[in-house]
Order: sequence, then structure tokens, then C-alpha cells
Amino acid sequence: MMNQATNTQTLASLDPNSVESRYVVNASQGQTSSYVPSTAGSEAASWNMYRVDNHSVENGSFSNSTYHHVQQTEPSTRTVQDGSNAASLATSSSLGTTNAQPDYSGYNSYSNSTDPYSYGSTGYQGYYNGYQQQPNPSYSQPVGAYQNTGAPYQPLSSFPNTGSYAGPASYSSTYYNPGDYQTAGGYPSSGYSHQTTTWNEGNYSNYTTHQYSNYTPDTTGAYASGNAATNSLHYQQHYKQWSDYYNPTEVSCAPGTENLSIASKSTQVSQVPGVSGGYATSNSQAPPSFTPSWRPEPSSSQTPSLQPGATVTGGYDSYWKHGASSFQNQHPTPVQQHFQKALDSKPSYDNFQEQQKTACPQGLNLQYPVAQQSSQSYQPPLQTVQSVDTRRVSKVQIQTNPRIASNLPLGLPKMDKDGSNNNTTAKPAYISVSLTKPIEKVLPNDAADSVLKVGMFPKSLKNYVERALGQCEDEKQMAACQAVMKEIITKATNDGTLHTRDWDAEPLFPIPNADMVDKNNLQNPIPVSAIPKYKSPTKRSKSRWEPLPEEKLLDKLDPVNSYAAKYSSWVHVNEKDRKPAGASSEGKTDIMNSIRFPLMEQKSASKTVQRPVKRQRLADGNAADNGDASSDSDKEQNLTAYYSGAIALANTPEERKRRENRSKRFEKVQGNRAQINHFKAKNAGSGNLYARRASAMVLSKNFEDGGSRAVEDIDWDALTVKGTCQEIEKRYLRLTSAPDPSTVRPEEVLEKALLTVQNSQKNYLYKCDQLKSIRQDLTVQRIRNQLTVKVYETHARLSLEVGDLPEYNQQCQSQLKILYGEGIEGCHMEFSAYHLLCVIMHSNNNRDLLSSMSRLSDEAKKDKAVQHALAVRAAVTSGNYVMFFRLYKMAPNLNTCLMGSLCRENAI
Amino acid sequence: MAYPSMGEAHRRITDYLNNFSDAVSDQDVASLAQLFSFSSNSPSLLSLADALNFFQDANRLIKQSDKFSQFGEILAPLFRLLQSYRLGNLVDAYHAFEKFANAFIQEFRNWESSWALQALYVIAYEIRVLAERADRELASNGKSPEKLKGAGSFLMKVFGVLAGKGPKRVGALYVTCQLFKIYFKLGTVHLCRSVIRSIETARIFDFEEFPRRDKVTYMYYTGRLEVFNENFPAADHKLSYALTHCNPLREANIRMILKYLIPVKLSLGILPNAWLLEKYNLLEYSNVVQALKRGDLRLLRHALQEHEDRFLRSGVYLVLEKLELQVYQRLVKKIYIIQKQKDPSKAHQLKLEVIVKALKWLEMDMDLDEVECIMTILIYKNLVKGYFAHKSKVVVLSKQDPFPKLNGKPVNS
Repeated sequence: MMNQATNTQTLASLDPNSVESRYVVNASQGQTSSYVPSTAGSEAASWNMYRVDNHSVENGSFSNSTYHHVQQTEPSTRTVQDGSNAASLATSSSLGTTNAQPDYSGYNSYSNSTDPYSYGSTGYQGYYNGYQQQPNPSYSQPVGAYQNTGAPYQPLSSFPNTGSYAGPASYSSTYYNPGDYQTAGGYPSSGYSHQTTTWNEGNYSNYTTHQYSNYTPDTTGAYASGNAATNSLHYQQHYKQWSDYYNPTEVSCAPGTENLSIASKSTQVSQVPGVSGGYATSNSQAPPSFTPSWRPEPSSSQTPSLQPGATVTGGYDSYWKHGASSFQNQHPTPVQQHFQKALDSKPSYDNFQEQQKTACPQGLNLQYPVAQQSSQSYQPPLQTVQSVDTRRVSKVQIQTNPRIASNLPLGLPKMDKDGSNNNTTAKPAYISVSLTKPIEKVLPNDAADSVLKVGMFPKSLKNYVERALGQCEDEKQMAACQAVMKEIITKATNDGTLHTRDWDAEPLFPIPNADMVDKNNLQNPIPVSAIPKYKSPTKRSKSRWEPLPEEKLLDKLDPVNSYAAKYSSWVHVNEKDRKPAGASSEGKTDIMNSIRFPLMEQKSASKTVQRPVKRQRLADGNAADNGDASSDSDKEQNLTAYYSGAIALANTPEERKRRENRSKRFEKVQGNRAQINHFKAKNAGSGNLYARRASAMVLSKNFEDGGSRAVEDIDWDALTVKGTCQEIEKRYLRLTSAPDPSTVRPEEVLEKALLTVQNSQKNYLYKCDQLKSIRQDLTVQRIRNQLTVKVYETHARLSLEVGDLPEYNQQCQSQLKILYGEGIEGCHMEFSAYHLLCVIMHSNNNRDLLSSMSRLSDEAKKDKAVQHALAVRAAVTSGNYVMFFRLYKMAPNLNTCLMGSLCRENAI
Repeated sequence: MAYPSMGEAHRRITDYLNNFSDAVSDQDVASLAQLFSFSSNSPSLLSLADALNFFQDANRLIKQSDKFSQFGEILAPLFRLLQSYRLGNLVDAYHAFEKFANAFIQEFRNWESSWALQALYVIAYEIRVLAERADRELASNGKSPEKLKGAGSFLMKVFGVLAGKGPKRVGALYVTCQLFKIYFKLGTVHLCRSVIRSIETARIFDFEEFPRRDKVTYMYYTGRLEVFNENFPAADHKLSYALTHCNPLREANIRMILKYLIPVKLSLGILPNAWLLEKYNLLEYSNVVQALKRGDLRLLRHALQEHEDRFLRSGVYLVLEKLELQVYQRLVKKIYIIQKQKDPSKAHQLKLEVIVKALKWLEMDMDLDEVECIMTILIYKNLVKGYFAHKSKVVVLSKQDPFPKLNGKPVNS
């Protein structure tokens, strides 16, 4: 990564050349001839143009966008061809190309090819290889469908939707209807429009912040990956899986890109996007290194375009701003294009639907929502979630989905989401672990979106964008005027596809990330340390999800943080907007789920699951000191809140599904337990509470019988441990970490342990130690029954015998009071007598005495011990010491001991 | 119940809204307070609640006119409160009330003058009463009752609003008294301390400026606190103040004061007249008083046992129990008087056996040692003047004033 970073710094100057070279190579590979030549020429031009645009930044010359458009199509075609050709090297380039922006793609490809080397980690190469291999076959299949889809997709973007916009007030409905292509198209487009709206509103700063935040997370991700880099194999697996997932999504992306290109070519293009999508997905899920690549892409692209000659290191901020400005310009353009094309392609769209497999529509739908979210909210977490969901859905639910999609337009999206939710509903422990990952994913998505937007700017779209912008401004403030939103969404559908493409392509650009990191470092004098800081923002971004106010985010003084905070605010607004639509709740839940679950799902899918966990933990460890604990608690709170919401939404069938998923997860987790433990040990060294807790949760879940706990009771039930230790004696050690079941004794053993303590001839210190450990085990396992009472009573008596009043008062008496209060049987009377005596001892506490006396039941007052205690009290208050000592002589139970201490206390 | 027609409901709601805005604009606090005091179950509010429940869309009416919508923050929750209160959903009513009260306070803060104090009093009172009832509802549902606590913190906020310089500060004591009521009910009496401190030490409060009823209430509660602390002179002072300033027609209030004042006075050696106990139905003390008069230890113990629950709950049990020493003193004094009648020369020598015999006659089974101990304590507490001859088991009383009267001073402890 570092190498890349250094390279990227210099890249700004070098990029043009590299890009050009790359293009040439691509052409040689034999991409579509028509496009290639023209594109090649245009590419160079576009490059230049792009830069110019960036310089001018906000001028927003649309002519430039046209260039971009051409370029985009070209790269995509190339990549497609490459993918079909199954050229191993080409894949990397294809990824780069997949990005709508030619310039970027060129960079990306360049970086990719060099990346493995620059990274120096063989693992990356392996990753790439893995990608190429599996993705290619998988791609080929989808390609057919996709081609078709490509055409239909353009129609999707179709205006009929736009026409419908005015009509359908329900934003949610459009969102949900996967079955309806038009609606689906509308949806993505709306998302796109959202983006545009935001842009129009002049949230340039926001956008920049977005990127910035994204960037930071990327860097963190990259670092994390570096830490965990050794596990290359895992990554590959992940990639494969992801790629599979992405295929459907890719298709959807393809249409968007295709819209730009001609229909006939669109097929090729679609293939390409599909491939790229697969890569992107793999990257996102896969090791952190990939994620960085995503982000770097946008950044790199922006930077070169913005400041062609300038060194990257110079003005980080300025870059971002430039990027933002450029983005704005670009965004409007793509929208226009989409609209125009969409109109044209409507008929084809219908056909497409028919031709397409059900799976494809689903994929599209899924992607679209993602695109929307990302576009609307720009929230990284949301995007990630959705993306994850879509992936999952594509894989898991594809079979079912097609049916549903065709038949039930509305139901499908929800179902998918729910499914994802179910997955995500995983345990809290996972959540904590998974947080880093989702963020990474999200970020890449954002980056991809930005890139896509930039790259995709058909002239025709401009007009559309402009309109959308005007509308959007109003909407922004309102958060979600649904009608306007719908319009925007329809446009966004096209964009979403574009975004998906970018996604795919983005993963290939690891080098740019490095550059960005370096830049960051340069700005921030601290090179390495800067990374953790950046990470923290990523975590914060998670927290943003949570209802917690942005203030927390603001706590950090780093500019990045401030940006993040802004970002978060954005997110909140977006969420709010969504809520009214009805999809908001789902979106939230999805988010939540995604945050926690991505890892979980991966695990379940394959053994590689462990790997992600590790990575996250490591990442956590790095950033752990940034107030993880607080964030953790916040998360929990948020989670609970979200859960409640989710629960409310969830129908019983959905719940069932979730439970099933959960139980499955648990099974898998158990298999992985050993490794997890290993990780845990590692983490323990670092003192990362987060990781520890997470591991603890994992462990606890492993031991849960059904693992089918409702999401609601995540709280401590989930943390409850079931012990396996069979040793009767155990030294007491105050827990500083989550309990390890292998050192916790189950109830039967504890019973024996209590007996041995009671019969032991050893001294009080030993017994006390043993009893404390028994109590600890009981507490950890949340055992509250007669055994618990017995243990506490035993300990109380022992401590009274020895006169260890602090132990008695603070530990045993208070606990016993609670336990008795819960109705657990024990020697209640005996201990209320002790309590009375204790209160008497503190003679100046009249109100306590009064209250404890008034609380005595009639039954208690007849008890011998209590009566004795009351008599003692009377004797003390009246000063009848003769009586007192008589009572002392005939005291029942251990009242004697207490009275003895009473004597000493009051110097009687 | 016959529900009003739609038009009728509409009319009632608009009437209410008009009344509200009129009251605010005219600064007519009496009618404003009336609009808030829903727990009075006044027919107009009840019918309004019915109308609200029937009409359902009262918020639209609020928003309709600027005159109302500027108070939308206040009125909307108030309507919700009335609705759920009418439906018997007290917890929801409480939530709405807290929202309403907060909005009102916000508005109240902005009013320069203190004209709306009366309405604020109503709110402070209603929120406490409503919280208590909501807690009862919560408790009956097996949930943890916490509304009263919430009301306490809300009133603390109100206190903060009032406790500044300015005309509003005279309202502080009322809120303080409501707070006392909450704290005493919750058993978190220690929380009273901060309020008391700000009242008693703050220069801005001249105690005599406060309304009399608040002063009485305040003195009553602080007097009770002093009883808890067994600071009898202070308790006597405060409770006596409350008694003398209390409206003599409010017998229930007088009774409440006497409930604490009598034990305090008893422990200071001042006995009440029998007619006082009768008049205020405080007969549980009559036996105690009798026991003190007669030196009848048995009677005292019986009286304590008989009313143990009541005394424990009111918190005077320990105070009354401490009267035992005075009863002993009385008993010894009686023995001394009888001895004096028989043989004045040797009257000051009290044999312990005689005391034991007397106690036995009272069915108090105490032996010599115990009696010796008691006598020692009596001497130590300065209830008896004299010395003790251990060998001969004789108490030698002082020839001058062997049984000093307390005369309003507490027993040495």
C-alpha cells in the first residue's frame, strides 16, 4: 500500500501517459473495433478535457461530459471483451475501465496492473487471479442475460417512469416494486436524482466531505488489510463469492452504462459492467486493500483531472473541492443522458424484462435501491448495507426472487431486504466486529458512485439534471417530497447502474488509494498515525447510523472528523426523508443489519468467514483507542432501538426467516470457534475491548443452544456464557475481559464446589476466594436460583463469623435482598434479622431503621431471629445494656457475631 | 354517554382555544389556571375531553388560526392529555402533560411579569398528582413506577425558572412544597436538602414574602425533616410556626401538623390536652400521653405496639419509643412521692427492689440488673438527679429537685 501511495503521488503527472498506454493496450486486445478507435482518440481528448473541466471546476461545461461519456463506453467495451476473452490480466484493466470515467479507468487499470507488484503482497495477485477465474465463468452466463438486460435497462431508465413520477406519489412503492422494470428504473433514477438534487443544492462541501470520509475509511481499510494481509486465500474465496453476488448487480449496472452506449453495443458493455461489478464486489467484501482501491479511484481521478500538473500532495483539500465541483458538473450530464436514452429504449426494455431471467431483475432492483441510498444519503453505511443486501439477495434469494419479482413487484424488494435484514440481524458481537467492514464497503460504493457520476455524463442527461436540480433543492429541505423524489429516482436508476459499474471497476484501483493516503499523510504531519485517525472517522460513520447525535462525531477535532460529522448529518436527513416513504424503516434495519452482518454472512457462506472477522478486529485494534467502548455502547443502544423498529416491521414469516438465518450462522460460527478464540487471544494482548467483547459474544453464541434468540433480547442474554469447566476449585480472579466458557463452571459443578467449600477445613481467606469465584461464575452465567441464594448465604455467614462486615454488607446482604425480592427461597428471616442488626449498628440512620422496620412483615415479626433483633434494637435505643447482653447470650444463628461487632462498634 | 355532535365538538374545542388565547392575551390567570386544572374534573373540561375524543382532529383547529398556532406546542399536548386522561390512560396522559408543561414553561420564561404564576401552580400540582396516579397505574401493570421521579425533576426545572431575582421568585416556595411532597412520597428525602438550602440561604428569598400557605407547607415539611433528624427544638420551632400560621379552619392540615408536633412536644416534656387529641382525632397519642402522665410503662408499650404501623409509617415511632425514659422518670418520681408520704426522711433513698416491684406490678419483668442499668441511664440523661450506690442497690436522689423538668429542652442524648 505504501508503495502505491508513493506512486500515486507522482501519478498526477504520470497518469496521462499511463492512461494512454493502457488504452492502447486495450485496443490491441481486440475490443470492439468501432468504439475502440474513436474512443482512443476521444479518450486522450477526454482526458485533457476532463482536466480542464476540473480546473474550471464549477463551470460545469457539459461538452466535457460528452467526452467522458464516450470514453466510458469505450473502456467498458474493452473490459467486456477482456472478460469474455478471459484474459487474466485484462480483468484488472477491465475493472479500471468499468468505471464510467475513462480517465479514471485508465488510472485504475494502470494502478491495478502495477498494483499487485506495488503492493508487494502476493496475496493481491492471488486475489486478482481468483477473481478472474471464477468471475469469468460466472460472468459469461450472466452475460447473455445481461446483454438483454442491457437493452432493457436503458428502457428502464425510461421516461415512462418519469411520466409516472408525477402520478405515483409513493416513493416507497416505486422503490419496492422490483417486478416492475419501469418502476425499478424509476427507482434508481430517483436515487440518482437525489444525488443530483444534493449536488444542485450546492452541497458541494457535503460531497467533498463524503469523499473525504470515504477516503479516510478507505485508508483505514487498506491498513487493516495490510495487517491481515497474510490471509490471501480467504480473500480469494471471498472474492469469488462476492463476484457471484455481484453478477446480478452487475447486470443492472450494465444497463445504466449501456444507456449511454448504443443498444447493440450495450450487450458488450453490459458484459463488461457485469464483470467489473463482480470485481468490485469482490473487492469491497474482500480484503481491505481492495476497498482502498475503490476510494483511491475517485480521488485519483479527481486529482488528476483537477490539477493535472500539480502534485497530489500539495492541496488535499483543494483536490477534494475540485473533485466535488467536477462531480457536480458530471452528475447532471449523466442524468440527461439517461433520460434521453431511456425514452428511446422503452420498448426494448419491455422485451428485456421478458428475456431476462428473474434473477436479473432482482439484481437490478437490488442495485437500484443501493444506488438510491448512496445517491440520496451519500451515507457510506447505507450504501454498504444495501449493496450487501443486494449481493446476498442475488445469491441466496435469486431463485425465489425471480418468481416473486415477476409476480409481485412490490413484495420482492421488501423480501430481499428482509432477507438481508435477517442476515444482518445477527448478534451484537458480530456487529461490533463487522462495523469496519461495512464501512469499507460503503465507502467504496460512495467512491464508485462519485466516479460513476463523474464519468457518466451524456449530454442528453444534462437537461434532465438541471430540472432535477431545481426540484431537488426544494426537496432537500423537505427531505422527501415524494413526488419529486420519484422523478429523481427514475433518473437515478440509470445512474445506479452506472454506479454499479463504477463499483466494479473501482476495486481495481488500489494504487490511487495509496496515493490518497500519502496525501493525507502529507497534510497531516503524522504519516502512519494519521491512518488510525482516519479510521476513527470510519467508525464514527457507523455511529452516525445510530440515532446518536452528530455531536459525538464532532468530538474529534480532525478536519476529517468534522467532515464526517457533516456527512452524518446528511445521512440523518436522508434517513428522515426516507422514513416517510415507508422504506425508511427497512432501510434502517438494513443498515443495521449490514453493519453487523456482512461478516456473519460471509462466514456462513464459507469458512473464509473467519478471515473478515479477523480483519475487523485488527482494524479495531488499530483504531481501538478511539473510544471504542463508548461507540460500542452507543451501538448497542442504537441496535436495540433499531431492533425494536425492525421488530415492529417484521412480519412473523420474516421473523422466522431471520431466526433460521441466525441459527445457521450459529452453526457456522461454532465451527470457527477455535480460530475465533485464537484471534481473541491476540486481541486480548492489544487490550482491545471491542474485539474482546465481540469474541465473547461469538463464543456465547456458539454455546447457545438453538441460537434462535430473538433479535430483541440481544442485551445480556446474548452475552450469557454457559460454562464448560469441570474443575471444582477455581481461584477468583476479577474478570477484565469477557468470560471464557472453558473457564466457567456450569451449575452442577458449582454446586459441588459449594459443598466442598462448606466442608472445607481451610481458612476463611481460601473459602472467601472460592466463594467469590463461584459467585462470579454464577453471575456470568446469569444463574439466579436457590443455588445462588445458597452461595450468597454461605458466604454471608462465613463473613459474619469472621467479622468481615464489608464483605457481608456490600456483597452478600445487598445481593440477598435482591434475590429474596425476586422470590427465591432462602433463609429470608435469618438475614432480615442480620440486616436489622446491621442497621442498628449504624445508629445514626433513623430513617433506614424505620423503613426496614416498617417493611417487616407480620410473619417476620414472629420469627425468632427477627424478634431477637428487634429486642436488641429496643435494648440499644433504651440503653438497656443488661438486656442487650442477655440477648447477646441467647442470640440465635449468627446474631451473636453481629452483636459482637455491634459491641465493638458502639464501644459498649 | 352521549357523544356530542360534530358541530358541538367543534364548538367546544374552539371555545376552549378561544378561552385560552383570551386568557393569555388578557393575562387572566384565573381562567387560564382553570383551563389547566383538568384533575378538577370540571364539567367544561370533561365535555371538552369528550369532544376531543370525538373530534379527533383538534390539531387542525389549532393550526387553523395564528392565534392558536402560536401556542400549538402547548395546546397540542394539552389536548392529547385531556384525551388520554379522559380515557383513563394515565401514563399517556402524563407524557402529554410533561410535554405540555415544558412548552408552557418555555412560554412562561418569556413573560416578564409573574401574572401566570397561578397557572404554573396548577401545572406543578397537576403534574404531581397525575404522576402519582400514573405510577399507580404503572405499578398495577407490573412496570416500574418512575413518573413521580420524572415529575420531581420537572419541578426542579420549574424551580430553576422561578428561583431568580424578580417577581416570579415568590412562586418558588410553592414549587418547593410540591417537590417536598414528591420527595417524601418517594422516600428520597435527602433531595430536599438542596432546595432547602437555596431557599434558606439565598438572599433573594425573604421568607416572609412568600404566600402564607406556602410558608406553612414549607415549615411543615422541614419540620418533619427535623423530626427524622431528631432535632427536636428545631422541629418544634418549625412545626409550631406551621401550626400558628395555618388556617384554623383547615383541620386536616392542622391535624397533619399536630401528628408530628405532638411527639416532638412530648419528647420535650410538654403534654397536650386531651381535648386537643380528641378534636383532631389523634387518639393514638392519648395512651402515650397517659403513660407519660402516670409513668405507666406498660401502657406506653401497648400504645406503641397497637399503633406500630402507623407510627412507623409516619416516622415518629422512634421518637415515641424514646419517651420510655421519661416514663421511667415519672415512675420513679411517683415512687419517690409515695415514699415521701410514708417517710419523708428517707424518701430520697430509693431501693431498686421497690422499683423492680413496681415494674412487676406493671407486668414489666425486669430484674435488678436491668433496673440498675435504667437508673444509671436516667441519672446520666439528667432525668434524675442523684447517685447510685451499687453495693446496697440504692439510688440516692438529690434533695433538691430530684426530677428536673425538661421544660422544652430535649433529653440529653
